[in-house]
Amino acid sequence: MLRVESVVKSFGGFRAVDGANLQVNAGEIVAVIGPNGAGKTTLFHLLTGHLSPDSGRILFKGREVGGLPPHVICRRGITRSFQVVNIFPRLSVFENVQIAVLSRERKTFRIFSPVAGMAEEEVHRILRSVGLFDRRDVESDLLSHGDKKVLEIAVALSGNPELLILDEPTAGMAPEETERCIRLLRKLSEESGLTILFCEHDIALVFEIADRIMVMVRGATVVQGSGEEVRRNREVQSAYLGESGEC
Amino acid sequence: MRRSAAPLLVLLLLATFLALPQFLPRFHTYVAAIVLLTALLATSLNLAIGYTGLYQFGHAVFYGIGAYGTALTLTRSGMPAPVAFLVGPLAAAALSLAMGLICIRLSKLYFGMLQISLGSLVWAVVYRWYSFTGGDDGIHGIPLPDAIASPKGSYYFTFAVTALCVFAMYRIVRSPFGKVIQGIRDNPVRAAAIGVDVRLHQLASLVIAGFFGGVAGSLFVVVENSVFPDMMFWTFSLEVLIMCLLGGMYTFFGPLVGASVIVLLRVFASVHTQYWGLILGTTLTLVIIFLPDGVLGLFVRRSLPKEDPGA
Amino acid sequence: MDSAANLFSTGTLSQILVGLSRTTILFIVSSGMSLILGVLRIPNVAHGSLYMIGAFAAWSVIQLLGGGLFGFLAAMLVAPMIVAAVGFVLERGFFSYLYEREHLMLLLLTFSFALILGDLVKIVWGPEYRSVTVPAFFQGSAEIFGLPLPWYNLFLLVIGPCIAVFLWLVINRTNLGKIARAAAVDGEMVGAVGINTGWIFAFTFVLGSFLAGLGGALIAPMVNISLGMDHSLIMETFLIVIIGGLGNMWGALLGSLIFGLTQSLGILVWPQFGIAFPYLAVVAVLVVRPRGLLRSTW
Repeated sequence: MLRVESVVKSFGGFRAVDGANLQVNAGEIVAVIGPNGAGKTTLFHLLTGHLSPDSGRILFKGREVGGLPPHVICRRGITRSFQVVNIFPRLSVFENVQIAVLSRERKTFRIFSPVAGMAEEEVHRILRSVGLFDRRDVESDLLSHGDKKVLEIAVALSGNPELLILDEPTAGMAPEETERCIRLLRKLSEESGLTILFCEHDIALVFEIADRIMVMVRGATVVQGSGEEVRRNREVQSAYLGESGEC
Repeated sequence: MRRSAAPLLVLLLLATFLALPQFLPRFHTYVAAIVLLTALLATSLNLAIGYTGLYQFGHAVFYGIGAYGTALTLTRSGMPAPVAFLVGPLAAAALSLAMGLICIRLSKLYFGMLQISLGSLVWAVVYRWYSFTGGDDGIHGIPLPDAIASPKGSYYFTFAVTALCVFAMYRIVRSPFGKVIQGIRDNPVRAAAIGVDVRLHQLASLVIAGFFGGVAGSLFVVVENSVFPDMMFWTFSLEVLIMCLLGGMYTFFGPLVGASVIVLLRVFASVHTQYWGLILGTTLTLVIIFLPDGVLGLFVRRSLPKEDPGA
Repeated sequence: MDSAANLFSTGTLSQILVGLSRTTILFIVSSGMSLILGVLRIPNVAHGSLYMIGAFAAWSVIQLLGGGLFGFLAAMLVAPMIVAAVGFVLERGFFSYLYEREHLMLLLLTFSFALILGDLVKIVWGPEYRSVTVPAFFQGSAEIFGLPLPWYNLFLLVIGPCIAVFLWLVINRTNLGKIARAAAVDGEMVGAVGINTGWIFAFTFVLGSFLAGLGGALIAPMVNISLGMDHSLIMETFLIVIIGGLGNMWGALLGSLIFGLTQSLGILVWPQFGIAFPYLAVVAVLVVRPRGLLRSTW
């Protein structure tokens, strides 16, 4: 479904991404791991249109998406959550998801109908599936950090994506929240066949739910394969797993 | 805000404004009309700045073009009056679209400055084009249809148009479009990530704001019978901005309140003193220091997050 | 040489020179604003008012000391100092308390002071025009390339680069300047190193105000000193600083050149709408290079 080939992105003299390769098949859960500064978030920005690649190709369902603006890529079927919580702080939980749903339904230029009850069923369905239904009227800025990250995922889901990209979904979450998140991701993958690509620092989590893992070091892909293959790879061991993990 | 009281308040306000000319002297009716159209102008600005988060520093140019468009159509073309009242706002909307297309690629402060420079360009042209626009004399003695030429007639016309336009903007703000542009204001990156074409929506918002600003300008022609270049000078743009700030930029009715206060203050000041700048400046300083969310902001918790100017 | 001189009409060349001397004033005032914008991140709408106070103050000094060379030079020194003092009061007394606020608020705050100062000028000096005549020393014209150029304009043409060099020295060669530049980039770090950023900011604002006042004093003999001076200048200054690159001294020079020259040439080519030409140039620059022509400190 998604294929990244030899993508390069530099900022000034610094090569943030230097030859990244990735392959994600439909229905898979794929994780990207690597030390801090390895270029994971940059890669995600390239995939979702927030940055344009200097060279290389990014193909989604056979079509080139590198360099397209974010809103176009969203319409093609890729949505994402952000590493730093990126919701609409002044809107309620309900409204956050509602905007995303309305955007998907292409109703954003309606100027004369009141928005108050629109798409209610759909929004409630999404909120229920992530477990935020009972907090739907809370101003999203006031949520706990863990809930905000779940809201991020809910907003990303509202776009009805085929590929969901999550940038460190459990960063800053307490253990129970992380558990909840893992179960949610599993459920999404199994029940709706959603393809999920995420990056994480929590290695245990990665090995637990990812079908395949891609390792990035200094902007380049070192290896992509099953958990076992990655564990056995010497380069990965020395660069990453051999050390104490997080930077 | 207490939900049940609000519609009642609005009705009361409408009734008051409706009844005003019946028992107020002519000059006060005139002032009330100015209050109304300035309130419309401030509300239109707030659409761009409070709801969409664009640094609309040159809004007066749409007011001025709306006024000049109407004035020139009434004085120079043979067209009937209703056409004139369409030409003004449509010209303002067209200018807003043109300026928007140029400015929208920039953000925040740069957007504002470019808008001001384009506005100054328009002002300079109007100011110097003596043969067409009357130059710095402006245009006076503009003929109006009898129904709206009298003080009461012009007042009721202004009232009707203002009420209609404010209502329209109220609906717009409460629509999906309104929610989306607020989302764009708070988090344009997120908005793009959910499939919203940010630039397109911002442009639409600018055009709407420009259109209603132009309507306010047309109303000025009805009330004042004249136009002059300083209507679109940048100092007036900032004055309208002050009105939004004073009343509360993140509420719908804030700019209405702010406009009323400033217009009334100005009328009062012009009678008693020649130091309007001092009064306005001091008022603004006090508002910035003590009431950053504006008067209505006291009732509704809203405030700007700290941002950087060129992001 | 002769054929080269024939390429230009005498009108063009002298217009260019006049434009250049106007550029000097624009540059002096804009560099002050650029400083304030770059280091303090304040879009100082009151800058035009400071310029106006400089002009009126120069008039007062000359009234006091007579219109001779001494009076004139004294005015060129004293008037900017008065303005610098005003700037000090503004910054320490008001602006510094609100640095934490967002830029829109700061802009409106400086605008409110522009309004207040405008009326204060009206109170102190009254609403009538004032004028200052060029002292005898500067009267008459020199011959440049066979064209008459008033001595005063020549004086301005010489002073401009001198001030530019002086500023460059202060900013790049003095410790104070280096600290100010560091504070422009990262105020917190400078504070963390133990330097009192308050005084740095005050100094910067005072210097910027001094420059505004100097511009006003220098232009006093060339224009009617009137109450609208602040409004017409502030817009030009802002635009110059934006197209030059925020906080960039050379940018202020470049922007001033563009502005001054397009205005002079514009009036020559199309007298009726010549004043619109600089705005056109600004639009053109911003469309192509939205962040300004030279690197900004923001």
